[in-house]
Amino acid sequence: MLEVKLECPKCKNQITIQVKQGEKILITCPKCKTQGTFTLPTEKSVQQESKKEDILIVEHLRKTFDKDILAVDNISFRVHKGEIFGFLGPNGAGKSTTIKILTTLLKKTSGKATIDGFDIDAQQAQVRRIIGYSSQDVGVDNDLTARENLLLQCQFHHIPKKKAKKKVDELLKTVKLIEAADRRLKTFSGGMRKRLDLASSLVSGPKILFLDEPTTGLDPQSRQDIWDYVIKLNRQGMTIFLTTQYMEEADHLANRLCIIDQGKIVAQGTPAELKEKIGTDKIKLLFKIDDVESCEKARKLLFKLPGIETVGECGLGLVSENGLTIMTKNGSAMFVRVVRALDEEDISFEQLTLSVPTLDEVFLKLTGKTLDVIERKKAVKPVGRRR
Amino acid sequence: MNFMEMLSEIVSIFNRWNKKLVRQPILIFFNLIQPLVWFLLFTQAFSAIGDIPSFQLLTGTSSYVTFFTAAVIIQTITSSALSSGLGLVTDFDSGFMDKMRVAPISKSSILFGRLFSAALTTIIQVAIIIVIGFALGVTIASGMVGIIIIFILTALFGIAWSGISLFVALTTKNQETTLSVGLLTTFPLLFLSAAVMPLGLLPDWVQQVAKVNPFTYVAQAFQSLIINGFEWDKIEYALIAILIVGVLSVGASIMVFRKKIS
Ligand SMILES: Nc1ncnc2c1ncn2[C@@H]1O[C@H](COP(=O)(O)OP(=O)(O)OP(=O)(O)O)[C@@H](O)[C@H]1O
Ligand SMILES: [Mg+2]
Repeated sequence: MLEVKLECPKCKNQITIQVKQGEKILITCPKCKTQGTFTLPTEKSVQQESKKEDILIVEHLRKTFDKDILAVDNISFRVHKGEIFGFLGPNGAGKSTTIKILTTLLKKTSGKATIDGFDIDAQQAQVRRIIGYSSQDVGVDNDLTARENLLLQCQFHHIPKKKAKKKVDELLKTVKLIEAADRRLKTFSGGMRKRLDLASSLVSGPKILFLDEPTTGLDPQSRQDIWDYVIKLNRQGMTIFLTTQYMEEADHLANRLCIIDQGKIVAQGTPAELKEKIGTDKIKLLFKIDDVESCEKARKLLFKLPGIETVGECGLGLVSENGLTIMTKNGSAMFVRVVRALDEEDISFEQLTLSVPTLDEVFLKLTGKTLDVIERKKAVKPVGRRR
Repeated sequence: MNFMEMLSEIVSIFNRWNKKLVRQPILIFFNLIQPLVWFLLFTQAFSAIGDIPSFQLLTGTSSYVTFFTAAVIIQTITSSALSSGLGLVTDFDSGFMDKMRVAPISKSSILFGRLFSAALTTIIQVAIIIVIGFALGVTIASGMVGIIIIFILTALFGIAWSGISLFVALTTKNQETTLSVGLLTTFPLLFLSAAVMPLGLLPDWVQQVAKVNPFTYVAQAFQSLIINGFEWDKIEYALIAILIVGVLSVGASIMVFRKKIS
């Protein structure tokens, strides 16, 4: 149980409540009787944070190639046991370099990193026993069949034959390759190969799984399959460290993430935190096309509403639309208040949408660059936030 | 390092390469093309060498084909050894090498698995050469036991020479370099040895070079088994030469592989 202090959105009364992490509770303000639900966001509680065990600790990690290429520039972060940790960055940011250092494939230039307490340099053998790694360029043998590839991985991990056979069947089923199990990989599609590679990094039942761009170059369906699988593994308790170039992917999968650019961490936190840090939420209000009066009335009304940062001009600059945009820090709470305020004044409106800032916008603000042009999509949701 | 674990690792990797070979049997013949061309053309063109009295005196045979069989076997071994390094480079390129390197297996296992499979491949190739030799009229004086000894020497020399290819592959991780280093070393070494011509018929300076050239000792062991029967001292010398090359090449490969992770 944790004690949390809240402010009633209506009367500003301070309320103290007792909640468990992740628990959703109904609160009634003792003063004005306003009701609302509250969920303790696990990531925001500092107390909670320190209680969680860190499985991966990285401190001041640096890597230079050929003396003058600084690929990883003094990065520090921690990955909690049981979470999905995202490493988001554009081409050449240093994602693969970092993951290769952590998986003992590359020697660091300086700094320190431990995985489950084992030093990645001094205790390589122990580290290798508890990690799984799926590289950016799929590490499977094209002359062998899917089954043979997995059996070989089992042999590398000294899993006895009988157990290995069972394990391989199980893995083939989970990644939906059982029908293609005895075909050589030459005939496999990119998505199938990627799934097999993922399966092959799992034979040893690693404590922490490193995935280097697991969905780059895959079609939406294959990507969804990998996402589902990653989430499933995580639910079973596996810690996952993944790199990606896709904002959407980090947003969808990661509990926490680092944004890395040119070898440096430019931001870290939960997706919600990062969005909050940077962006303001946007509420878009639309009226009947010829109902200019309502729009103006609403505009005047909303100006007076506390918690709203800016209210745009009526008209939205589009001929086909009649409406306005409101910027606010706390979109989901404001959303309800806007509806109430409009209701009380009997102002009728057509549509109300809330858009929260995307990680794209976060990235753009932090680095001045866009990440991926094709992928950019605004997360438009009618009500509330995903997280 | 647990010996049984390492053994099972080597067996897994050995089997992997064997499977790859069986699925692409063309590779077995690919390496054989050049030695075969030599076997057929060279021996036809230079068959007259066999008539030279001093050649007969020095070698104990009047058939150049018979004498030259040893050179063809050596060429088969070295050209086959090339592919062991190329295989590793392919693994580096495909990402499979990283997969092996993050697994809790010994680096030496990765190399020995490759080397033993290379040795097996070479034995098969040399067997094909010997059969073709029979068709060309070559006889083997030491008989069946001699052939088995030829296979053993083949395997050992194959491993030792593959070590060089592995070393180049591990240092450069580049197909072209690995291929050209192998090709460029084979020919000079072959001609600067007693493989193509008996020592006594070589110019003085070449003789000096040939005496420190491992090819000479391996060739002489093969020649003696084919032409004369068992001359254990020659086999001994060959083993010593192979051992020196092998310890250096395989040792160096293991060392760079262990060290080079940056
Ligand atoms: N072996 C190497 N030698 C020299 N420079 C290298 C080497 N490997 C990576 N680099 C450089 O280090 C930087 C980081 O590369 P890295 O592969 O870690 O990026 P990344 O974030 O994984 O990019 P991508 O999304 O393209 O995979 C790049 O500038 C790259 O050119
Ligand atoms: Mg990368």
